[in-house]
Amino acid sequence: MDNLAELLHGFTIAVTVPHLALMAVGVLLGILVGVLPGLGAPNGVSLLLPLTFGMQPVSAIILLSSMYWGALFGGSVTSILFNIPGEPSSVATTFDGYPMARDGRPTTALATAFGSAAFGALVGVVLITFLASWVAQVALAFGPAEYFAVYFLAFASFVGMGGAAPIKTVVALAIGFAIAAIGIDTVSGSVRLNMGIDELVKGVSFVVAVMGLFGIGELLVAVEEEFHARAVSSRIDWREVFRAVGRLPRHGVALLRSAAIGCWMGITPGGPTAASFMSYGIARRFSRRGRYFGTGEVEGIISPETADHAAGTSALLPMLSLGIPGSATAAVMMGGLMIWGLNPGPMLFVDQKDFVWGLIASMYVGNIVAVVLVLLTVPVFAALMRIPFVVIAPLIVIICVVGAYSVSNSYLDVVMMLGFGVVGYLFKKLFYPLAPLVLAIVIGDKAEDAFRQSMLMSKGSLGIFFANKLVTCLIVAGIALLLLPLVLQLARLWRKPASPTADTTSQEKVII
Amino acid sequence: MISRRALELATAVLTGGFGVAVVTSSFDNGIGWSSAGVEAGTFPFLTGIIIVLGSIYNLVRGVLPVASLANVRVAITQIELRRLAGLFVPAAIFVAAIPPLGIYIASALYVFAVLAIPQHQSVPRALAMAGAASLALYVVFERMFQVSLPHGALAAALGF
Repeated sequence: MDNLAELLHGFTIAVTVPHLALMAVGVLLGILVGVLPGLGAPNGVSLLLPLTFGMQPVSAIILLSSMYWGALFGGSVTSILFNIPGEPSSVATTFDGYPMARDGRPTTALATAFGSAAFGALVGVVLITFLASWVAQVALAFGPAEYFAVYFLAFASFVGMGGAAPIKTVVALAIGFAIAAIGIDTVSGSVRLNMGIDELVKGVSFVVAVMGLFGIGELLVAVEEEFHARAVSSRIDWREVFRAVGRLPRHGVALLRSAAIGCWMGITPGGPTAASFMSYGIARRFSRRGRYFGTGEVEGIISPETADHAAGTSALLPMLSLGIPGSATAAVMMGGLMIWGLNPGPMLFVDQKDFVWGLIASMYVGNIVAVVLVLLTVPVFAALMRIPFVVIAPLIVIICVVGAYSVSNSYLDVVMMLGFGVVGYLFKKLFYPLAPLVLAIVIGDKAEDAFRQSMLMSKGSLGIFFANKLVTCLIVAGIALLLLPLVLQLARLWRKPASPTADTTSQEKVII
Repeated sequence: MISRRALELATAVLTGGFGVAVVTSSFDNGIGWSSAGVEAGTFPFLTGIIIVLGSIYNLVRGVLPVASLANVRVAITQIELRRLAGLFVPAAIFVAAIPPLGIYIASALYVFAVLAIPQHQSVPRALAMAGAASLALYVVFERMFQVSLPHGALAAALGF
């Protein structure tokens, strides 16, 4: 019951006029970046980051997290009305959302999506409310070896469950680690990997990487296809909104199953994109109307949307209680936490109660604000999609340039951002996952420190990772996840020795 | 026209090259165990090795005809390539123009050039948008949030 008292205290922090205003601003900006191609939640949040340095950490995190909720909703709007996913995580929503909207039921599609998204988010927040402080309590007893094991498990789960080709994920992760190592080594103080460029002593900020990978990279992918926004009507019929939401409980099984998938994928960093695809795939297999999927089925909208938002929300659980972000956007927010001078991890629940519970309470309120605002503003943002892409593209390039520059007033960062843009394009095109890359840039240093500290404790023996039950379990689970793709591959070969090619194409649809 | 195979190859070579750079660079910091614990180059060295090995695997998988990826012949068509260049080349010129011209003049010129030269917008409208973009940057960053953006060598020469 302690949690509930803390939560009530959190509400007194979150529900104040300035914070409600910040939520509204954050949600609107979030919908904007969610709707615009090329701008998504990760780079929207990192763009806002430099502007939060003067704020109280609670206010700053409320602004940034509200932006995240807004972006998740905004991505669904374009998926349903234009068949253009504004966010990678809302790709699966286009499969049934757009056909339903095209058949003359756009309000039903939107209301179903928002209603199930809100349910998914709610489940995620409830989970955080009851689980986060408990996890943090357990984690307080962690030493460096346990921490390294948890990091290892997080990275391994990307490989085992991220959905992308395993070796490509490994390469993306390792590149992230190498980028994190650039600059001054925190343990020995020596300069590492600066490749002869003196300015690289300051390291490579994750913001620069995010701007390039997600901003320029996504623009390049978007410009390839001719944009023809054949919008269906974006008028909202309010009576139909309530009717559609009222029909949601009939799909209780799908809602609960998708929320569970979402929470699982959010906590073990699989990310919202993988969650929404997995949930859609499972729903198609188990739903009674599975064979009608793709023609505008209600459950085809419910499943990806619920899982997407449940994953997006619960991705903050490991970030708060362990210091391991569960998605690319959570990684950016965690970078923000460190810049504000907070130390993400279990100590937050002891030292920064106001911050933690203010944030958790704001997640309840922020999602309600988001549902209301997104319904009210659908016509406005739908009109925005009619601005030609050629006009929007240079503006987004300028925003990314300014965002990269303002991190540390360095021109080198701008050039690197452009380079990351090319890498982002190639990676997207070839289905290398981007989220693990960003994650490794943000927490690579911490993982390395944990490893080196444990080595110091054990005087160089790897045995410390098998010294007690907890750490052994974590390491073994991590190794199992790493080997999972290999085992699946072998099992498949053993069962069907003749056709090794059929599955990779379906697997490739799941990106990031 | 660029084939999927060529793209896989180029990317694997790119990541592999980065891996090699990381490995060679990590030798400067020492690898292995010393009296002060794990030396600073060890972790980068290991990640570099992983990058190189992974890149070799991806390279082989992307190029071998047995691999399923060889079924995808075309990754980028001629038209797509032109569109890509149409976005990236002006953006790269814009970034290159920032040190001499400063971000305000460079971004105004960039917006104007991208809109007016391919005749997406009429010249007066393109001019208006270019001016508005530049002004918005100034108001939001320099005024509202007090973030100083690069003014460029030109402004410095004129004494700003």
